[in-house]
Amino acid sequence: MNFTITRQNLHAGLAAVSASIPSKTTLPVLSNILFEARDDSVWMNGTDLDVAVRIKVPADVKEAGSLTAPGKKLQEITRELPDAPVEVATRGDQIELSCGRSRFKLNGLPADEFPTLPSISFDDAWTVKGKDLHSLIHHTSFAVSTEESRPILNGVLWELRDGAMRMVATNGHRLARMSIPAQSSDVPSADFIVPPAALQQVQRLFKDDDTLEVSRDGNHLGFRSGSAEIFTRLIEGTYPNYEQVIPKDNDKKAIVSKKLLESAVRRMAVVASDQTHRIRLTFEDGRVHLSVLTPDLGEGHDELELDYAGEALEIGFNANYLLEVLKYMPTEEVCIAFKAPERAATIEPVASGGDAMDLLCLVMPLRLLD
Amino acid sequence: MARRIHILPDAVANQIAAGEVVERPASVVKELVENALDARATRVEIAVERGGKRRIRVSDDGVGMGREDSLLCLDRHATSKISHAEDLKGIRTFGFRGEAVPSIAAVSRLTMETHDADDEVGTRIVMDGGRIAAVDDFPRQRGTTMEIRNLFFNAPARAKFLKSVSAETRAISEVVTSLALANPRVGFSLTSDDRVLLDLAPAADAGGRVAQIWGGKDAGSLVSVTGEAGGMEIEGLVQRPDAAQPGLRRAHLFVNGRPFRSANLIRAAERGYRTTIPHGARPWIFLYVRVPGGEVDVNVHPAKAEVRFRDDSRVEELVETAIRAALDHEASAATFDSSPRGPSHPMAVREPPPREAPEAQMALFTSSMEGSPSGDAGVAPLPVVEAPRPRLWQVLNTYILAETRDGILIVDQHSAHERVLFQRLMDAYEAGGQTGQRLLFPLTMRLTQAEYRQVEELGGLLGRAGFEVEGFGGDTVIVHAVPNPHPYFDAERAFREMIDELTHGSELVRSAKNQHERIAMTFACKGAIKAGQRLSPREMQELFDELFATELPHHDVHGRPTIVRLSAAELERKFGR
Ligand SMILES: Nc1ncnc2c1ncn2[C@@H]1O[C@H](COP(=O)(O)OP(=O)(O)OP(=O)(O)O)[C@@H](O)[C@H]1O
Ligand SMILES: [Mg+2]
Repeated sequence: MNFTITRQNLHAGLAAVSASIPSKTTLPVLSNILFEARDDSVWMNGTDLDVAVRIKVPADVKEAGSLTAPGKKLQEITRELPDAPVEVATRGDQIELSCGRSRFKLNGLPADEFPTLPSISFDDAWTVKGKDLHSLIHHTSFAVSTEESRPILNGVLWELRDGAMRMVATNGHRLARMSIPAQSSDVPSADFIVPPAALQQVQRLFKDDDTLEVSRDGNHLGFRSGSAEIFTRLIEGTYPNYEQVIPKDNDKKAIVSKKLLESAVRRMAVVASDQTHRIRLTFEDGRVHLSVLTPDLGEGHDELELDYAGEALEIGFNANYLLEVLKYMPTEEVCIAFKAPERAATIEPVASGGDAMDLLCLVMPLRLLD
Repeated sequence: MARRIHILPDAVANQIAAGEVVERPASVVKELVENALDARATRVEIAVERGGKRRIRVSDDGVGMGREDSLLCLDRHATSKISHAEDLKGIRTFGFRGEAVPSIAAVSRLTMETHDADDEVGTRIVMDGGRIAAVDDFPRQRGTTMEIRNLFFNAPARAKFLKSVSAETRAISEVVTSLALANPRVGFSLTSDDRVLLDLAPAADAGGRVAQIWGGKDAGSLVSVTGEAGGMEIEGLVQRPDAAQPGLRRAHLFVNGRPFRSANLIRAAERGYRTTIPHGARPWIFLYVRVPGGEVDVNVHPAKAEVRFRDDSRVEELVETAIRAALDHEASAATFDSSPRGPSHPMAVREPPPREAPEAQMALFTSSMEGSPSGDAGVAPLPVVEAPRPRLWQVLNTYILAETRDGILIVDQHSAHERVLFQRLMDAYEAGGQTGQRLLFPLTMRLTQAEYRQVEELGGLLGRAGFEVEGFGGDTVIVHAVPNPHPYFDAERAFREMIDELTHGSELVRSAKNQHERIAMTFACKGAIKAGQRLSPREMQELFDELFATELPHHDVHGRPTIVRLSAAELERKFGR
């Protein structure tokens, strides 16, 4: 293998791939990047066995070939190189870099020791706009579970159905759901449960105006645009029936400024217990009273004016859950709706003119004992 | 009518008294050694043959007796130790009845050799079954030797009840051990058929004495206890929870220098240990209680083995809180040190002992060292770690390492979190209950019939622990809300395992005092962060802070250590610095 490449291209490619390689691993080859040089470009591959990233950068390939080499070291070297063409060549299992008068030889490993990436055919791929995918991921993936006993909930559900795309994530205590009309007509009907790590790579590597091709092959999902490809293992199993737990009859509705509510909740959270983060919200005609009482620490009270005309209602929440949900609300005002203190509360954006975003979050309350 | 009642001759009366005072060779040893200690001996030598059945010899270097006293002491109610009824109140000596010597003499062949330094020559008296056989001049250094041969030779009925030589020897050794612990500054030796069982040079304090008797390793497993309440004081040594084993227990109680037995106080001490040791573990306990004279009656048991406190519950409470406070201290944490900082106390300032009191009974604890626990149970644990906060490292995703003022702490994250969760739920029970997070997808669980009944029975308490459980017909329950102690909490598994353990019992469940504790313990055990869980620096810091805010940060609810210390001193030893 032998190619010449600009320092910028080499560095950009390495930076894009190395974020996907694990920092600690028992399989040494995983901390390497696989280079594949052919035609007029070099593909750089990295994987942690769950998610794989492939990046293509233009290069002047003199001799096609492949080799794996330590990703982090290469990235660090490239960062420090002068802005001049870099010649990359293999010498047995070593990789040689020369740039100006700088020369490096690093020990690599043969390409065939690198795990084979899932070969996903994009023949039946459908297309998605980068912006749509980003928006779905951004507004939902925060809600996935970190607890490992139910792997299903560690993933984001991506539903394609009836010309719409929807993502759902939950940890069983709070949930986020968002839908967007599918732009193209080739979108199939399907469900995937995608690891959030893969979605993070999608957010990182594709731009809003990219048009992505997406394809499923067996248990893998692939995303690609011109110069980047992401493959991920899908989480197997059936996602719980979330529709069933989303209340349809929450009739006590409060419209409130997201910013004001956020800062009031954040103030309360300071005094809330470190474990439950419990705060109490009392909704009354035209206002909400926030309070917190933590034994051994103290108490706090606050009040906000808002648009509420339902019956008075007192409800407890984990302040962190509320704050997260509010954080991802895209509008200045939000609508919080309740049925009863022990039932799920829903939070939705309130569009001021324009078209509303189909986003719904749900937070399960904490039981108030007193 | 003929007179039927007559006064018993002394010899008979003494034999009857002997029945109460002298039960077995060990009681003879006890009385004689106590007399030696009352005579302010600095060294007491005891030799026995055939478990004391053939011969018992106790010699001391105490004040001795003059000729007149030495004859007097053979009479009943002859004592130098009290003269008025009120004297009994503040009694500081072991003896006060003037019964021991005549009782022993009545059932044995006794030879007494004694010399009071004021006299020119000593005295030797030979007795045979209570009758004086000879009185001679006898040259001797100051002090007294009592030799008892053929115990119960004239009371065959009693002789029959004696146990085997080895059992009697063991009992003697127990008695001497106990008195040696009560008087660490007095030297003791005990030989049995020419075998040396104990040879104890004067020790500086009780800790030193324990080390002499059982070796430095066991002594190193003890931490000091101090406490004070309403004029009563307590000092002592108790075992670190991690060293407490099931099986043989060493428990020695002393009041005003006098050994006594009390199952209730031992139980109080064990209450102090609650939730820090496994069920069935028997920590060693050495407690020295000091109470004003009027607070204790030592004259309630013929062999003085028991005492009566004016207010038992106050003494029990003092014992319990003092032990709890000691276990709250860093020194009670497990350690890697090969010779841990020995148990010791700053000497409490106390009034000088009354003059007639034997000095040896007063000075139990001498050497002073910083860092001894506060006896006041209400005081927060001494801060182990100085500001600024220590840096924490997670090792093997299981332990947290922290640097402290004088070494390293290794915290077991699971054990530590158990202690935190236990305390949190117990506190929450007191305040009404623990918050439950309602679930979007309620958990549906099939239980066995026994488990189902258990859940029904515990319903309210489980609810206050945050588990909102609803029966669903058959043996199925639906859990609508669960506590949310940390982000990695697997509620379903924790609940299942809790119910399983609560239903089928376990060491842990048995060690609990009541249902609240039982639930808090199982919740802590099943809900705590597991070994192998990677923690963020913030999570480690929170765990660390919360642990030290609990009542007993050094011990988990199973009686395992949460923390192991490695001192700088030990590191220096290991590296030969
Ligand atoms: N080893 C000794 N050295 C000096 N005096 C002794 C010794 N043994 C006994 N005496 C004297 O003999 C007296 C009688 O002893 P004895 O043990 O019979 O009674 P006590 O110790 O006064 O009371 P108690 O019956 O409660 O033990 C003691 O009061 C003490 O004066
Ligand atoms: Mg006596």
